[in-house]
Amino acid sequence: MLPENITAIVARNERWSGHAASEPHEAGWAREAVIFVRALKEPEGDQPLARVEISPDGMRWLPEGSEAPMPSRKDSIAVLRVKHFGNWLRVAADFPAGAASTVLATIHLKA
Amino acid sequence: MTEARVTIESSTTSDLAEAMRLAMLRADPGLSRFDPLPRIISHDDFSRGHCGWSQLVGNYEDDLDTMLPGYAQHTSAMLSTLGHWDAGSHGGMDSSYALKVATRPFAGARNVAIKRHTFRRRGPIRFELYLTFKPEATELMLSETDVRSVGFLFDLQGGDRDGDHQRVMPHLRFLNALDGQHLQKWQFKTESTPFQAVGGSDRTLSHYHLAPTGWRDLADGGQRLCYNEIPTKVNWTYLRFDFDLETMRATGFRCNDRSFDMSGFDSIRIPAMKNLWCMLNFCVFAETDVDKRAFLYVDSVCISGDF
Repeated sequence: MLPENITAIVARNERWSGHAASEPHEAGWAREAVIFVRALKEPEGDQPLARVEISPDGMRWLPEGSEAPMPSRKDSIAVLRVKHFGNWLRVAADFPAGAASTVLATIHLKA
Repeated sequence: MTEARVTIESSTTSDLAEAMRLAMLRADPGLSRFDPLPRIISHDDFSRGHCGWSQLVGNYEDDLDTMLPGYAQHTSAMLSTLGHWDAGSHGGMDSSYALKVATRPFAGARNVAIKRHTFRRRGPIRFELYLTFKPEATELMLSETDVRSVGFLFDLQGGDRDGDHQRVMPHLRFLNALDGQHLQKWQFKTESTPFQAVGGSDRTLSHYHLAPTGWRDLADGGQRLCYNEIPTKVNWTYLRFDFDLETMRATGFRCNDRSFDMSGFDSIRIPAMKNLWCMLNFCVFAETDVDKRAFLYVDSVCISGDF
């Protein structure tokens, strides 16, 4: 049987500002994850780093260590790749005052 | 050979085939817990992946801002081991995995997973699944009224030459709680919201069939399910819904040990759409009653038909 491979849309057309994060996603079956964050509109203000976060329970979150600059223009894409994340995954970013971005965040998982 | 003997032999062959079918079903650990009709359309055991259960995405045109808010909140279903902070992974019925549909953490939030088919013949279909539900375990409390509801719906339309041009959407939900009241009853609905054009061309329409209004109680539809004693203990519940695509009527509904009278049940019925002929869609959904995520878990699904 071919290994499982799925694309999950975890934030679609969401305006991120302040402390922002995608909804928790369980992916313990997957050996690798690639996360893309695309700016659907022209970002507002200084864009922060996006970071991968992992969790023991889907409720308490810690940075995994992977970071990438949030997209600085409409339709540009940030990418993060992780191989050791246990079960829970999300992507988060802390926007400074006056900054925001409307995003499409997708997680691509492979067993 | 006389006509009577042909009939008897034919009947014997038919009985034997049915007996063999049942014997094979009963001996198959994956199917033995189901009572499928003669043809299995799909049997989804989530240890084999997502099995075609995807996110219900709303319609849009030109800009995602045109999507109705009810749909915009949806996220993708996931494969879960029902991992709990205090007890670890609960697992499924006979594998580690179940399909998980999670709402966002605000009262009234909803999420839907969908499987899209078309049908070959208008006849009986049967939808069977094992499910359970819990709120996110953010409090050390029983939290038994935190999940508003879990449920399922079909989205159906006849063939392009059938004549009875309707789109038919049977909906059933277990209303666990509403505004903190523990109601525990089955409901159906016959109303959607009016269709509205999304975008500027009038070619793309949308309606919100899961709007919170219009739910009606199923006759004698109260049922107390097994809700284990803390938010991280779950028990699997069996559901079976029978529907006849020929008459577009529900013919039966069972949850664990209870069978319900469906004579008063009806579906949302709207004019046929110009592009949805022979549609056979199945959805499962969850709704939360508080500012906390609600989780619907589906261990396995068997969809069968008589065709």
